[in-house]
Amino acid sequence: MSATPATATPGRGSLSAETGVARAWRWLREHAVNIVAVLVVVYLLIPIVVIFVFSFNNPAGRYNFTWVGFTLSHWSHPFSNTELTNALLMSLKLALLATVISTIIGTMMALALVRHSFFGRRVTNFLIVIPMATPEVVMGASLLSFFLILGTPALGFETLLIAHVMFCISFVVVVVRSRLIGFDRSLEEAAKDLGADAFTTFRLVTFPLILPGIFGGAMLAFALSIDDFVISNFNAGSTVTFPLYIFGAAQRGIPVEVYVVAMILFFGTVLAMGFATLQQRRAERMTAIRPEQEESDIALPGIA
Amino acid sequence: MAAAIRRRSVAYFLLFPGAFWLIVFFVIPLYFMAKLSLDTEIPGTLHYHFTWHWDNYKEALELYDTQFVRSFIYAGIATFLCLVIAYPLAYVIAFKAGRWRNLMLFAVVAPFFTTYLVRTLAWKTILADESPVTEFLHAIGLAPNSHILYTAVAVIAGITYNFLPFMVLPLYASLERIDVRVLEASKDLYASASSTFWKVTLPLSLPGVVAGTLLTFIPAVGDYINAEFLGGANNRMIGNVIQSLYLTQSNYSSAAALSFVLMAVIMVVVFVYIRFAGSEALMGQEAV
Amino acid sequence: MRTTGKPGRSAALKLAVALAALAATVVLAACGSGIEGPVEATAAKVELEKKASGELVISNWPLYIDKKTVPNFEKATGISVAYHEDINSNEEFFNKMQPLLSSGESGGRSIFVLADYMVAKMMKLGYVQELDKSALPEVEANLSKSLRHPPFDPERSYTVPWQSGMTGLIVNKEKAPNVHSICDLFNPKYKGKVDFLNEVRETVPLVMKCEGVNTEKATEADWLKAIEKIGEAASSGQISRFTGNDYAQDLTNGNAIAVMGWSGDAVQLQIDNPNLEWRMPTEGCMLWSEDMVIPIGAPNPTAAEAFMNYVYKPEVQANITEYVNYVSPVEGVQEILVKREPALGKNHLIFPSASFTKNCSPTPTLEGKEEKNVIKAFDEVLNG
Repeated sequence: MSATPATATPGRGSLSAETGVARAWRWLREHAVNIVAVLVVVYLLIPIVVIFVFSFNNPAGRYNFTWVGFTLSHWSHPFSNTELTNALLMSLKLALLATVISTIIGTMMALALVRHSFFGRRVTNFLIVIPMATPEVVMGASLLSFFLILGTPALGFETLLIAHVMFCISFVVVVVRSRLIGFDRSLEEAAKDLGADAFTTFRLVTFPLILPGIFGGAMLAFALSIDDFVISNFNAGSTVTFPLYIFGAAQRGIPVEVYVVAMILFFGTVLAMGFATLQQRRAERMTAIRPEQEESDIALPGIA
Repeated sequence: MAAAIRRRSVAYFLLFPGAFWLIVFFVIPLYFMAKLSLDTEIPGTLHYHFTWHWDNYKEALELYDTQFVRSFIYAGIATFLCLVIAYPLAYVIAFKAGRWRNLMLFAVVAPFFTTYLVRTLAWKTILADESPVTEFLHAIGLAPNSHILYTAVAVIAGITYNFLPFMVLPLYASLERIDVRVLEASKDLYASASSTFWKVTLPLSLPGVVAGTLLTFIPAVGDYINAEFLGGANNRMIGNVIQSLYLTQSNYSSAAALSFVLMAVIMVVVFVYIRFAGSEALMGQEAV
Repeated sequence: MRTTGKPGRSAALKLAVALAALAATVVLAACGSGIEGPVEATAAKVELEKKASGELVISNWPLYIDKKTVPNFEKATGISVAYHEDINSNEEFFNKMQPLLSSGESGGRSIFVLADYMVAKMMKLGYVQELDKSALPEVEANLSKSLRHPPFDPERSYTVPWQSGMTGLIVNKEKAPNVHSICDLFNPKYKGKVDFLNEVRETVPLVMKCEGVNTEKATEADWLKAIEKIGEAASSGQISRFTGNDYAQDLTNGNAIAVMGWSGDAVQLQIDNPNLEWRMPTEGCMLWSEDMVIPIGAPNPTAAEAFMNYVYKPEVQANITEYVNYVSPVEGVQEILVKREPALGKNHLIFPSASFTKNCSPTPTLEGKEEKNVIKAFDEVLNG
């Protein structure tokens, strides 16, 4: 973990063998951090490669755990398993709705927190942070207790939606708020000076400028929702989402299609992220606000 | 003055839906769980009534103290490993990656884009007893009995993997904020590479360390997927217990009591940690 | 940033009052329903309509029916079937459904398939409808003699068996050639390579058999002693883990070489990997069955009974047996399969003879306090 020395001392010509070793040793020392970093990147990517490879597996029985042979058949019919497809559609529907709702009310909250002074601000901040500092299992369990004691007739899509919006809000607020904090208020003042009313200013100036932040928050919410297992498992009743389907199927053997669908989701997200980054760059170029702003800001939804 | 009042009501208007949702579906459920944790079952009916039954806590903790302690140990080790693994990576991305930076950042978040359960199952394949990886580790003497899956090692490895990005990203964010000129100044003053690191870089990246540690540790303690898929009979964590008490045994009172204790202990740990390490990381720049 | 002034305060106060009122409403709504509400008992009997039609929703375990039966049934009757494979655990499914059932609803489902003990529990709680036998002539004619009078439902008034099976040993005969009894699973030679089932009513009686206890007369102390033995084996690392059907993965991957397992799985596993083999434990096996029931509040019970009746036609059941490889509760299936698929028709795991199962016992029922203590102790072992 050392910083690279700026210059390398020239080798001593006479002891060439030793120098070779010494040089190799020095090279290693200089590049140790880089080597470790590359190894960590490899470590991060190994399971993805395994998932990709096993999505082409051709297992004889029901278990996609050992490599048997190559086939394209699962890629050509990724949605042939109706239980799986229904679960995936359920997850997509749930994630879309949860994203829309949590993004709208999360953005409103973020606006209130950054733009307005009001009594109860600390409590509100606390209210937003606490769900993020609560283990999922506790959130899932407490919501289930709530529904059980209330006697909610059916756990299912509605209770899942409630739960998903609940755990997404905080993350949306944090992402959008960080965008609002770095916002140049003088642009709004300029709009007002030019005679725009508050609503017009918001519509034409504020909203387009914070849009990348909102988009980032929405993407994070979507990712959290579609991947959630723990809270869903507590509150799904007999509704089956994609992660819940996988958990059930893990008992009897995971169909290869699950790996295919996982890879499709992976590539889909990568595309969406590429799109978001492009959007953000364009927004920044067009407005030329804070050119020093990192474009990676939005590209890192996980940072929360 | 009227304008100020209007602005405030705008603030409450903006705040209301979110606050409503969080209060009704997060705060009130916690109250209900507290209530449930003090209930007693009417025998054989699956119905409960409220009795201030504090023994639920005592019984649950007596039965499951092992899993409790184990969860904190596993999560602690995994968090430490994450820190050790993530720091060099974040350091390289921040200072040395150059044009590779975005690609490396992408590699860090890439695991998020594959379903959590699927990537954990992938580790099950990788660590299976007859897999090439296990056989290789066995050959170089790192895997006695050629048995990794269904041990504590597998569970901790799984947790470390799954929460590593939560450590890398905040570390990167704080390292990236460091002014390179400060590091150069240190070098100009003849500080060795290692003392530059220990005396300048590391202290300046401390907010990232704090945020990363919390973002890793909190979900890791409550996690039960890794223990479920990668762990054996002796590696169950408190999340597994809460899950099975709620969902398979309908022993709601004990489960609620355990959840409450878990939350309380985490709060205490986090609070103490923040007291020592500073608060801005968790609460965001402008809060508190 | 914070400003405090009268207007702000009063608005905050209003907000607080509104939220408090909301909280109060929620809490008030809590009284009178849910798990803290009063206990309601319900009882119902299926009332048949003239002709079965409409839609039928079935919940069953995954991979527990062949691909043809449902479409054939739809064609034969005009009923459209939504067949869900959403049961992975008796307890978990029951707990998911319980809030609905206690308010007299079935979540739109008309047939559940659950283990004997769970069905018995549901009957006691009044969650199951009494069947109208006039619509079940095929069941009446073909139900296997040995399954006609189970202690929990002596006249089969509420339940119709779906499949039966045996719980015994599945071993990798190359790596664990000498495992022949449940006791052998405790041999340190196989340390860390053994899986036990996470089913208390199968795992514990099998271990009691190894201890020489008569499972049908076992006392609570016998149960607890066996659980203690299992617990010691688990904490010493002898038992790698407790599984449901996922022991199959461990056997195929080499993570386990001897497990407690189910007969139908063994037939399947053998097809993929000839090294894997079912073994009747020298102590004997456990016999179980899973039953179809019509939950209270089920829509279209007429169609549900039509389905129950349909799968009891031997030629229909033969297709199911051919696919799932468990012990069929329907008589006349063996005759069909011997002709069609002799290997299966003569397989003693699918059609066990009385002498083959002579030492086997039915899964015991546990009740009341004994059940509670046993399950609690076993769960402590499961959670390590």
